Amino acid sequence: MASYQEGEPPSPGENSGDESQGDEAIRILEKMKQNQRRAAAELVSTEAKYVHNLRLCASDIRSQLRELPEEDLDVIFSNINDIIKVNSRFLKGLEEANSEEEQLFLLGNLFLEFQEEMESTYKVYCASYNQAMAMVDSYKKVPTLQKAIQDVITAVVPQAGASGLTFLLVMPVQRVTRYPLLLQKILENTPPDDHAYEALQRATRAMQEVNSNINEYKRRKEIVTKYSKLEHLTVRERLARINTHSISKKTLRLSQLFKQEAGIVTRTEDREFDDLEEKFHWVALCVNELKSNVASYLENLETFLRIKPHECDLEMEGGAVQQYCCLTRNLHLLAFLEFKQRLERLVYHPLGHLSKALLGPQNLIKKRLDKLLDFERVEEKLAEMGSMTYEEEATRHTYQALNSLLVSELPQFNGVATQWLGQILHTLMALQRDLAQQVLQRAEGELAQLPHSHVSESDFRKVMEDTLGKTSAQLHSFRQSFEKVLPVPITQPFQPAAERQVQTLLSKYGPSKLYQVTSNISGSGNLALTLQRGQIVALLQDRDTKGNTSRWLVDTGGYRGYVPAGKLELYQVVPPEEPSMQAGSGDGFRFPPEEAPRASARAVTPVFQVVAAYPFAARSSHEVSLQAGQPVTVLERQDKKGNPEWSLVEVNGQRGYVPSSFLVHVPSPAPWGWSLPPCNSPPSHM
Amino acid sequence: MSWIPFKIGQPKKQIVPKTVERDFEREYGKLQQLEDQTKKLQKDLKKSTDADLAMSKSAVKISSDLLSNPLCEQDQEFLNMVTALDTAMKRMDAFNQEKVNQIQKTVIEPLKKFGSVFPSLNMAVKRREQALQDYKRLQSRVEKYEEKEKTGPVLAKLHQVREELRPVKDDFEAKNRQLLEEMPRFYSSRLDYFQPSFESLIRAQAQHQSLPGTSTPAWPLSIQVLAT
Repeated sequence: MASYQEGEPPSPGENSGDESQGDEAIRILEKMKQNQRRAAAELVSTEAKYVHNLRLCASDIRSQLRELPEEDLDVIFSNINDIIKVNSRFLKGLEEANSEEEQLFLLGNLFLEFQEEMESTYKVYCASYNQAMAMVDSYKKVPTLQKAIQDVITAVVPQAGASGLTFLLVMPVQRVTRYPLLLQKILENTPPDDHAYEALQRATRAMQEVNSNINEYKRRKEIVTKYSKLEHLTVRERLARINTHSISKKTLRLSQLFKQEAGIVTRTEDREFDDLEEKFHWVALCVNELKSNVASYLENLETFLRIKPHECDLEMEGGAVQQYCCLTRNLHLLAFLEFKQRLERLVYHPLGHLSKALLGPQNLIKKRLDKLLDFERVEEKLAEMGSMTYEEEATRHTYQALNSLLVSELPQFNGVATQWLGQILHTLMALQRDLAQQVLQRAEGELAQLPHSHVSESDFRKVMEDTLGKTSAQLHSFRQSFEKVLPVPITQPFQPAAERQVQTLLSKYGPSKLYQVTSNISGSGNLALTLQRGQIVALLQDRDTKGNTSRWLVDTGGYRGYVPAGKLELYQVVPPEEPSMQAGSGDGFRFPPEEAPRASARAVTPVFQVVAAYPFAARSSHEVSLQAGQPVTVLERQDKKGNPEWSLVEVNGQRGYVPSSFLVHVPSPAPWGWSLPPCNSPPSHM
Repeated sequence: MSWIPFKIGQPKKQIVPKTVERDFEREYGKLQQLEDQTKKLQKDLKKSTDADLAMSKSAVKISSDLLSNPLCEQDQEFLNMVTALDTAMKRMDAFNQEKVNQIQKTVIEPLKKFGSVFPSLNMAVKRREQALQDYKRLQSRVEKYEEKEKTGPVLAKLHQVREELRPVKDDFEAKNRQLLEEMPRFYSSRLDYFQPSFESLIRAQAQHQSLPGTSTPAWPLSIQVLAT
């Protein structure tokens, strides 16, 4: 812009033709110098005013805005205090340089010195500026608060006017953009060979850099905010979002993906990013796995605490039992409960937070992939056509911003996450150790009071085995004694009326006349009896009235009648008290007319069966019908009133009462082979 | 015992004195309660040991899953820490298993044996009850005959019934006496029986909880360093 000339004044001995030129040069130079100084002065004075206003804002205004909550004030004023600190120092440096000789040179260097600090503080402020403005706008909508704010501002900074806070808050943003401009102005008015020129040039460039960095930072932050919000949309909302734009976006991406998969287009390989992503993925896996494992551990712990064996009541005062119950109760209520709570607080909840923190980056990574596809498509188009639309430029930019953001921040994130994880694991171990310590302490305390506390483990085991062996034997003996509690006394020898009836027959006719029915006889004709096999009868006559010797007249003890002789066999009466036996032949049809001599006693066969001697018809439901010769099972020898004339029997599956006199005690139905004692066999008779 | 009014066959006079009956009830009641408590204790102990084992198994799962994560390959420090944790957990699990085995042997099995006496006891009590019923029945018969006119056949009958009664009465008395003797003894035997088992329980807790510095260290030295 400016033309520059030699800085030294032309010698007075120049020719007059050059004199006017020389004067011109000097004048221009002088003017430049003046401008320079003015610009520098402007820089300093504006800086001073700026800092002053900032201070007012931060301290006076903020402290008086008492109606607003703290968090909101933090959002509005953001890191204005940091800015004040930096700029105050900067101002001091400026003022010092002012009085110096090499003012501009020092100025330039000052900017370079402060470049980094300014960048870091201003970028934070600028990035959160939008949020701050949004907050201020929301307060504008509340008239009462708005008025209060306005009053305060008017009181402190009258020139703020109606725009109030907005006017004040935008100052830092404006200031940082002005630095390059101010510097530029000074630079314009500085001849290139000036000592300070280089420094100023560098300073200008530095400030421009600062501004572009701040912009980049702001953009990245915006992207992150946009995509890391996890949107939980209903299906309807998702559907509502579908429009031509989104559809076309997604289809383009999908086609790009296909092209990559098919090999038509090469995929951009980003090794660095892939590594980072992989690590992130492992961290996420680790955290989630740990979280679910700890959850199941806690569940098991809870189950364990729910079971309370120490609440049994064996009614034993003192001793090991009491101690055990005490110990376990304490452990459950104190040690374990504390452990559980600490575990939840110090391990499980932090894991939950960590897990949630992972979701944001996960989403960003996913979005990056989408944007990558877009980017590749745009690049393609660029290669083909050499230009792109504004939208395409924006897409490109988004991808690049997202990518660089992730690449720069993922390593940090991974590192922090791993560290956090490490700390959680440490805590877990410390908690376990503490629990073990507690349990040990308590248990040892109780142990000291036990009788065998001084005994070593192996010795105690032996003692235990001995004791258990002894007590086991004792228990066994108890069991035996209980089982030995005398069983029901043996039923007394059965004396049914039936047997007495046999006795009656016996006494009436003598043993030689007793016959047993070998097979069922069904009587036909008059006076014929129906008898069952096994029934005992006494012979009255061995021929019937017609002289037929194959029909005999017999007495069953109640009835009399004729039965075929072939079905009778001599009966060996074997009552327990009268072991006398009747001699008889093998055929059994002999019948001695008079009593045969009694044989010597034969061994009593104690196996008896009760048989119905006569038929009996039941007359009520309590009674049961009998057929002559039918075997029965006697259940009770008397009825419910104790009357022994009735017996409770079971026959053919039915139960009921029958007259006891109808029952006969007989040997169990033997095969017809009992050997009869050898005796003089009576002549057989047929 | 059985409270059936108007049951035919009940003797008119009280054959078993009330005090004896009361004593019997009391002793038997105590034993019944002991039986319940023993069963409950056995069940609870079993459940408790199972839960204990489940806990240490899930602790081992925590550390072994961590070990299998690829992060361990990359980060040496992480690997060290996870290995130490894994060793500690596995050891703890082994100790726990041992503890449970010991408890099984010295507490749960004896408890089972103790419980196995009860069925025999209950049977014996039932038999006594049966004998009592028989006794009562016969006694009422005797009384019935006693009240009748003293005719010849009645007297004969009475004599016979009395003969029947005698062994039954003796039997009941024997059973009653035996049980009244044995039950209190059994009840008091529980003291000797349970004390050693519970002592063993406490010892098991103390032995298998160990920390570094004690006779059986469960925690390797590295854990000590890391966990501080």
